[in-house]
Amino acid sequence: MRTGDFKQTYGELVTLVDSPPVWLWSAVLVAGLIAAPFVLNSYALSFLMIILITVVGTLGLNILTGYTGLISLGHVGFLVTGAYAYAVLVSKYQMHPLVGFLGAGVVPALASLIVGAPSLRLKGLYLAITTLAFSFIINTVILEARWLTNGARGISVQRPEIFGFSFDSDAAFTYLCLGFAVLTLFATLNIRRSRAGRAFVAIRDNDTAARVMGINLHAYKLFAFVTSAFITGLAGALYGIYLSFVSVEGFPFLLSIEALAILIVGGLGSALGAVLGTILIVLLPEATRFVFSLFSAQIDAVFTTGAQELKSMLYGLVIILFLRFQPRGLVGAWHDIRRMWVNWPLRY
Amino acid sequence: MIKYLATASLLLAGAFLSTSLALAADPGITDTEIVIGDVEPLTGPPALLGVAASIGHKIAIAEANAAGGINGRKIKYVLEDDGYVTARTIQGVKKVTDVDKAFAMLGISGSGQSIAVMPLLEKAGIPTVIDVAPVKFLWEPPRKNVFVVGQSYEEGIIHLVNFLAEKNPGKKWGLITQDDDYGVTVRDGFDTVVKARKLNVVYSGNYKKGQQDFSSDMLQLKESGAEVFLAGGIIGENIAMMKELEKLNIKPVVGIFWPGRVEPVLKLMGPAGDGIYAVDYVEPFAGAAGKAFLEKAKGLLPEAEMKGINRYSMTGYAAAKVLISAIERCGKQPTWACTIAELEKTKNVETGIMAPISFGPGVRFSNQKLQIMQSEFSTLSFKPVN
Repeated sequence: MRTGDFKQTYGELVTLVDSPPVWLWSAVLVAGLIAAPFVLNSYALSFLMIILITVVGTLGLNILTGYTGLISLGHVGFLVTGAYAYAVLVSKYQMHPLVGFLGAGVVPALASLIVGAPSLRLKGLYLAITTLAFSFIINTVILEARWLTNGARGISVQRPEIFGFSFDSDAAFTYLCLGFAVLTLFATLNIRRSRAGRAFVAIRDNDTAARVMGINLHAYKLFAFVTSAFITGLAGALYGIYLSFVSVEGFPFLLSIEALAILIVGGLGSALGAVLGTILIVLLPEATRFVFSLFSAQIDAVFTTGAQELKSMLYGLVIILFLRFQPRGLVGAWHDIRRMWVNWPLRY
Repeated sequence: MIKYLATASLLLAGAFLSTSLALAADPGITDTEIVIGDVEPLTGPPALLGVAASIGHKIAIAEANAAGGINGRKIKYVLEDDGYVTARTIQGVKKVTDVDKAFAMLGISGSGQSIAVMPLLEKAGIPTVIDVAPVKFLWEPPRKNVFVVGQSYEEGIIHLVNFLAEKNPGKKWGLITQDDDYGVTVRDGFDTVVKARKLNVVYSGNYKKGQQDFSSDMLQLKESGAEVFLAGGIIGENIAMMKELEKLNIKPVVGIFWPGRVEPVLKLMGPAGDGIYAVDYVEPFAGAAGKAFLEKAKGLLPEAEMKGINRYSMTGYAAAKVLISAIERCGKQPTWACTIAELEKTKNVETGIMAPISFGPGVRFSNQKLQIMQSEFSTLSFKPVN
């Protein structure tokens, strides 16, 4: 049993996982996820799909907000841009789905340069409002560019077929989402331990100090914007395919707030936190409904017919409780439990 | 020995076959119950439509259950809230079909939401009657198991503008639409008549969904000198527009579309809402058919739900009635295939609140007859215009 966490080399400091049991449990988790489509019904599978897609999106936002400390209220703008880029390339111009996914990453990344460049001198609330404005502008652009986007009519999107393998079934599409989620997780974990990742964190912790240390603030902030938008755009493409119909209406502003809530509840700046936060926030209404349904059918009916109002209330309540009692989020709670487990019966 | 083994194998195969056939029976049906599912926006502003539609479904189901159910089986109605969020509509349909095991579907939510769940419904093959948001995509191309009761938005607008153009020849026109799928359809219908009749359009505006303040839009309308105005809002938008026109002291001839033709809107508009023209395919509540519908509902609904009734309750009732009668015609052992075949055979089904409903081979849209009506503030009602 490990009795502490000792790092003796730089290699150990930047290693992705420093413990074989973590690899083992991760493998078990992936095996469980691979088996899930065989045991879950289509309703339960839809939650898994939403979780995996949301994980990709929140990991994208985590690079900008969690790692670099730049608050974005307009990430739904990148999400909808990614979805439209995929829909236009694949559904309208019949391009290969892989080209569609590439476009879904590249187009929002280019758009992020437009919003990122003027935002370089902005911080905090000012930046948040700028990104919010971007999400409104992008919606207007999509609605006005009817020749390309069909305007308010939207674009139907089919499930992709890649190299002869059809992702038409829910099970197959879940695997596609799983693939994207795992790759994104590895990508963001690797970014975090790279030179760029350390620069992001330095900017977040104290941008003046980071500048004094020779970090190019403009370049790294733009890089954070571009990377974050690229990943969020991919999530947008997956979400568009899941909805089977891409329209501005399908990407409400609330998604940006939901993503921020996930990061706060999960633990800002942590990839594990983004994953845990997503699971909690997506499953919270269903889990609460299940628990209450065990006690009363009437409460179950309230959850069925007033689901969206209760969902909003639950989100609010959970955020308040986390900010009050566990500001480090789920990942903080997990670290506390782990420390307690290792040190017990001693406190430290 | 070989003979015995062969017989045993045959028996075993037979047993397997009968078991698998029993397992393959369509879901949502037992000896005593048939489950009908629905997903509607029951919370948020669009709840005005979703709640009303679900009430319509409940009236038809309560009526059938009071008469002994469908060939002895009681109907169980399973309703899910999607909050007008497309992703939640998809999950709602999945829950209703996979967890609650619905035998058939009614509804479903708004136009964008219905379009999004179309592949899901088509793949599942579940008999579905849509009644809330009739848009062409839902019946063009026709899908085997999806039927739509209503009239297209575009046809509705063409009918209304044609009527207003005949009544107000040579007048100046104004139009405002929402920046979504609904708004585009309204504009397309309007443009069709403008082109055909060469109408003089002096004001054409577009507003962002959710906009509350129409002061500048209505000021522009006033300055343009428009005499006939097509208000392309839904609920709150039309109320705000009428209030602004009242403030500006102008009273053009106003036309609205059926999503906004709900009686509580007239109360909120006040006197400014008097004399507004509307188009619809269901009977107004002020008429004999509307009154009879309300009377029927009184006996079947709890008092609290009576307040939620509006035109969408009528469309919901008609759709549920068509579905229930199709299942009924399938006799003691209804299946999806039989229900779909019977829905296709639907011919002149009377609901008492709209023109008779018919479908046919390859025809999945009931194409309801339209009528023009006018609002009367003193009675807070719409009355047919001859």
